Amino acid sequence: MPNALELRGLTKRYDDGTLALDSLDLEVPAGSFFGLLGPNGAGKTTLISAVCNLIRLTEGEISVFGNPGGCMEARRLVGVAEQEPNLDRFLTVRETLVYHGGYYGMTGAAAAERAEEMIDVFDLRAKRDVRAPKLSGGMRRRLLLARALLHEPRLVILDEPTAGVDLELRHELWRYIRRLHERGTTILLTTHYLEEAEALCEEIALIGSGRIMARDNAEGLKRRFDAASLEDVYMKTVAAGRRVVEEPEEAPA
Amino acid sequence: MSAPDAATVEAARPWQGFLWLSRRECHRVLRLWTQTTLAPVVSSLLFIVVFGLSLGDRINEIHGVEYEQFIVPGLIAMAMAQAAYSNNASTIFQGRSDRYIDDVLAAPIHNWQVNLGYLVGGAFRALIIGAGLAALALPITGAPIEHPAQLIVAVLLLVCGFGALGTIVGIYAETFDHTSFINNIVILPLTFLGGVFYSIDRLGSPWEQLSHANPLFYVVEAIRYGFLGTSDVSPLIAFAVVAGMCLALLAWSQWLFTSGRKLKP
Repeated sequence: MPNALELRGLTKRYDDGTLALDSLDLEVPAGSFFGLLGPNGAGKTTLISAVCNLIRLTEGEISVFGNPGGCMEARRLVGVAEQEPNLDRFLTVRETLVYHGGYYGMTGAAAAERAEEMIDVFDLRAKRDVRAPKLSGGMRRRLLLARALLHEPRLVILDEPTAGVDLELRHELWRYIRRLHERGTTILLTTHYLEEAEALCEEIALIGSGRIMARDNAEGLKRRFDAASLEDVYMKTVAAGRRVVEEPEEAPA
Repeated sequence: MSAPDAATVEAARPWQGFLWLSRRECHRVLRLWTQTTLAPVVSSLLFIVVFGLSLGDRINEIHGVEYEQFIVPGLIAMAMAQAAYSNNASTIFQGRSDRYIDDVLAAPIHNWQVNLGYLVGGAFRALIIGAGLAALALPITGAPIEHPAQLIVAVLLLVCGFGALGTIVGIYAETFDHTSFINNIVILPLTFLGGVFYSIDRLGSPWEQLSHANPLFYVVEAIRYGFLGTSDVSPLIAFAVVAGMCLALLAWSQWLFTSGRKLKP
């Protein structure tokens, strides 16, 4: 089975000269729960935008379940909940979901049925006919997630899905994402919350300066860096600017 | 919160995304109908009533046509051009500004279908306004439709050309002011100077010659030929210029979607 995501030599230099991704290589196995950890400006959102056809890539190759990145099939297989709520201001909650389904090739009836289902799953029933700008922050976050999942993507990318949400909703979202993963969906999660990555992700890649600095499961990373917590690992790699993926022998035993 | 039941994964339907984007654009026009359609119809009708019916008796016929009839095609053309332009410029700029256009750009929709989907929205709004104005102005003024086939071609070229211009400006604009700037400083003056209210035959040199360099003049003349069967230039030339302009603008807008320039960082 091909990897859910394969990135080879991914490079993105913005028009102002900023190098956001620097020959980044990454494989995300199909069915995995994969975490991407890094500080602001590390390249997490640029990486996600590259996979979702939302930036012009400078160099590199993307493959989604064996399909070349950007092709119609690759796009259909990916669902993304972006960091900042980017909801259509003219559409209600229900319309947002139905139109999204339509954009992804669903018929009106199938999209409408699935939209009602997601409205119930994410407790949006009371706001079903409310337009996005009138929703609270938590409701927008739920709608973003519902929209990302509506067309049943095999790879779900969640860009800091719990940023700015209250503790109760955060745990609720965690439960839902876990259940989604148990059903075989590949999850790529970016987060600032180290405890979130440790609690949810089977494998974690630390990203800094547009490159993968280290990659393993939480326990493996701690062992490798002789660290008591993931936070220590983070400080020893990303914060210190060290890169150990290609030079594992330099890492502490 | 409970997990969703498994739903049937839809097979890829290549036109579905385009159809839903077109529907979304028409939905937006109808949701904002007082701004998008009612206001332009009322303001253009006021021009016809004030300039045509009030002053028409004091102005001689132009090319054998009553003045109140003479101004109708140009005013309809101007309203439709502004509608197609404004619709696409604002919908794309808003989508970029709030970043909900990402939902369309990430979806499995070919970039030419995205371009076409936005054009449908602009055309929908322009056609509602054009049909509404024609339905009101033709009975009031008695203006005929002499060449319906040519009129349909001219209208299609107009809505595609100005819709594409709106798309281009919506993609390049950095602020909302940029979109209205092009409308107020370029489209509106050039349409007024393109012979909406007068025949350029009546202008002295060099204004008559300069009017031939105004692309909006040919748009007005092509529409006028469709309605009244008369125009200041050969209809063939008018249609050729309008078609050339339309194709150039469509090619430019398509290049922006294909390259991702300004749409994607």
